[in-house]
Amino acid sequence: MNDELRARLARIDPMPPGVPTEAVTAQSSQELLEEIISTQVTEGVLDPARKGLWMSVAAAMVLVVGVAAAFALGRDGEPLVLGASEPDITQICMQFTVEQLATAEVAFEGTAISVDGSSVELQVDRWFKGGDTGRVVLQAPTGMELLIDGIVFEVGTSYLISATDGTVDYCGYSGEANDQLRSAFEAAFGG
Amino acid sequence: MSSQPDRRARFESLADVVFDSLQRYLHRRLDPEDASDAFAETLLVIWRRIDEVPAGDVLPWCYAVARRVVANQRRGNERRLRLVQRLSFEPPPPPVTVGSHGDPELEAALDQLGEMDREILRLWAWEGLEPREIAPVLGLTVNAATLRLSRAKKKLAVELGAMRQDQDAIGHRTDDTPRSKR
Repeated sequence: MNDELRARLARIDPMPPGVPTEAVTAQSSQELLEEIISTQVTEGVLDPARKGLWMSVAAAMVLVVGVAAAFALGRDGEPLVLGASEPDITQICMQFTVEQLATAEVAFEGTAISVDGSSVELQVDRWFKGGDTGRVVLQAPTGMELLIDGIVFEVGTSYLISATDGTVDYCGYSGEANDQLRSAFEAAFGG
Repeated sequence: MSSQPDRRARFESLADVVFDSLQRYLHRRLDPEDASDAFAETLLVIWRRIDEVPAGDVLPWCYAVARRVVANQRRGNERRLRLVQRLSFEPPPPPVTVGSHGDPELEAALDQLGEMDREILRLWAWEGLEPREIAPVLGLTVNAATLRLSRAKKKLAVELGAMRQDQDAIGHRTDDTPRSKR
């Protein structure tokens, strides 16, 4: 079934191997590479609070990270609100470590109880750090779709979420709950 | 950081490896004009980060960069760097595939899946990646990528099965109608 499905999907590939692309040796390709290499940009760094997760990037390439830092400790039954959006394209994940996870300011396990295009509401099953509310809302910036790298939110599914500066941490530091990630949370936050 | 000649040599050698695959990846997901812009942008990000490209299989790392460029383009992001716009790459548009008959049933079933499921299936079937290679592209662990791929295949099979049932039901109704009129 695997091979059959893969072959069937390959048959609707809009760019199958038989369709040529521009060769790297073509003059236009060589000119493009030369222009890229000669591009001058200055180095810069990301928000220091997050540079443990992300490597520094070229300032000229930094596209403003569209993360709403909506971070309000829930009071009187109000849910905690965390910002979330897809990380900047110039940011590449560094290797996951429990030590880095332990620097998160907020960490919890929760079950998604409502999901729409721009927000997810989670019923907190267990707080590891940084809160005691019963619910947490992950909210995308206004006008943007909630996109958290590699995580698809579905009602009824449990997630382990960590956050720093009111923003969800990516790169494997948040995700669908499983034994491996839960063990890392327990190791980082002392269970 | 390595010396400029070293970085240049590494970038040129990497470009030899990924040039074709990245063009295919981007043309599969964007229209030709956006794909060309995204290609230049992807190469520029790779050049800037050439010291961080992992040794060994570089393609998944480069796909991860391309994926973020695509995500930005799809959001209609206007915050692109002027330098990148100046670097727009305009290769001739790829020829229309001859002999492709499409698969409306499969395409309709794919449309019923979430974007992450579709993307993991595309990476598997179109880019020909295995879960260990898909994982760094999507920022997942290998275990999670394996599970997600398996789940996406099952969801697709369910959608295909549901469509067949619908078609069968329509077929039966069509068959029944003349009989009931007789």
